[in-house]
Amino acid sequence: MSENTSVTEQTNHRFLASTNHDEKARQDFVRSYKEYLVKNIHAGNRERYEKTIKPKFEKSQNREPGDRFEVRDLMVKDPYYQMFSSLLRTSQEMMWSSCQIPVEKRFTALNEEIHLSNGESNQGTLKLDENLEVPRYHKAVDIHCQPGGYHSEFGENDASPGMVYDRAVHIYAMGQMGPFNDDMGASIVLWLKENHPDFKPLRILDLGCSVGHSTVPYCKAFKNAEVHAVDVAAPMLRYAHARAQDMEAPIHFSQQNAEKLDFPDGHFDLVVSHILLHETSGKAIQNIISECHRVLRKNGVMIHAETPPYKGMSPFDAFMLDWDTRNNNEPFWSRSHEIDLDNLSKNSGFDLGKKIETLIPSAFQIEKVKRSEVFQGGDFGGGGQWFIYGNWK
Amino acid sequence: MDRVLKRKAKGERPYFFEDPNVDKLVSMIMGLAGETSVLMDRVDTIEQLLEKKGLLKISEIEGYEPSTQVLESRANRREIYLSEILRIIEIELEAESLEDNAPYSSAVKEVEEG
Repeated sequence: MSENTSVTEQTNHRFLASTNHDEKARQDFVRSYKEYLVKNIHAGNRERYEKTIKPKFEKSQNREPGDRFEVRDLMVKDPYYQMFSSLLRTSQEMMWSSCQIPVEKRFTALNEEIHLSNGESNQGTLKLDENLEVPRYHKAVDIHCQPGGYHSEFGENDASPGMVYDRAVHIYAMGQMGPFNDDMGASIVLWLKENHPDFKPLRILDLGCSVGHSTVPYCKAFKNAEVHAVDVAAPMLRYAHARAQDMEAPIHFSQQNAEKLDFPDGHFDLVVSHILLHETSGKAIQNIISECHRVLRKNGVMIHAETPPYKGMSPFDAFMLDWDTRNNNEPFWSRSHEIDLDNLSKNSGFDLGKKIETLIPSAFQIEKVKRSEVFQGGDFGGGGQWFIYGNWK
Repeated sequence: MDRVLKRKAKGERPYFFEDPNVDKLVSMIMGLAGETSVLMDRVDTIEQLLEKKGLLKISEIEGYEPSTQVLESRANRREIYLSEILRIIEIELEAESLEDNAPYSSAVKEVEEG
């Protein structure tokens, strides 16, 4: 048996749904199960492909599989890959279920606590818009297989999708995004401080913030900045505001579609998003980049964190990173990883001479964290790096 | 407990095996592994009896804060537990790396004739 897997526990806060002994044990099981898949089962797919599946194809076709689609056609017939996928999908479903149980048990009381706290808010604000239409691309399937998605409401002033999500993200990333699930925001902050030490944003906007995991680090790093965060899902924002208050992070949350913001032109120094773009659509992604351009001041910057595009990846690696598209309710994942980013920026009026496109190291580099250092489905944060795309205006 | 939240995520659920029942079995087996409900009931019974006999207060269990050492030993135990359950997958890889892939009939033939 190899050495122990690291145990990065999620940092508690007032609104993190409490768990009893067995509820916590059930969640711990899902995390161990996912860790086990990454550590011991994932790599078998590559082995099957390199040692058996690819040679067989080469022998019959006199060439290598040309792209991820050909790899896919071969792999889906492989019993090992079938079992791997079946296990991984199951782990995702068990993750949500294990996080729903403690929330459902105290559903009304938890929602009331959050509602009360939001009503007494003394730092930051929460502005909901019940007339905002949740976009079709967000509702086509329940993203990440969270039952009901981010937007569904199961009761009055419902924040339960946020409660379920906050805990589930920690399990999903197996702690690889740190005790606050904030690694993407923290990594961009670190990158900015190291590469642009003179850049001191006074107005910051986080797009598609969900429960504000990645928003909080900007508040902590740029203490003089006014920080705004938007999302289309009201339940996420209710939870986000309560959580941010408890973390003493004054953030202005509002329910808005990033395609059409209500902020004035040239308002922000910094506009960021964290794994938002791949949750949108072919048209929306362009609209969002155009909105970024509109709300940024001159010499301001937009930065979007994602997993890396497929270009330059081997067909097998691209295939493995593409797992989520079909199997984890990520319908725009494929397309968004192959989109022409230069075109997006250019069409929105950005000067490509000021573009940003690079891999940045994860800010959460605790020695105990053992990462696979591979970008692959089911191993979020395992790469130890984030891909950022952006542009200075 | 009232299930107030949805249990199924909107969107067609993928099945990976030709027979979807195999996927369903996988899910059931992992559900069982996660729950180990018989074991949990048994632990609960033990706790109830210990409390009744004044040997332990159940609140002590809820208030128990495991040390890092205990957390780590639990994580190790779960890893062993998982390796037992997923053994059937891993032995295939082991067989492949050891080139242990001769059909069984060849072994029968070998001993019969040897």
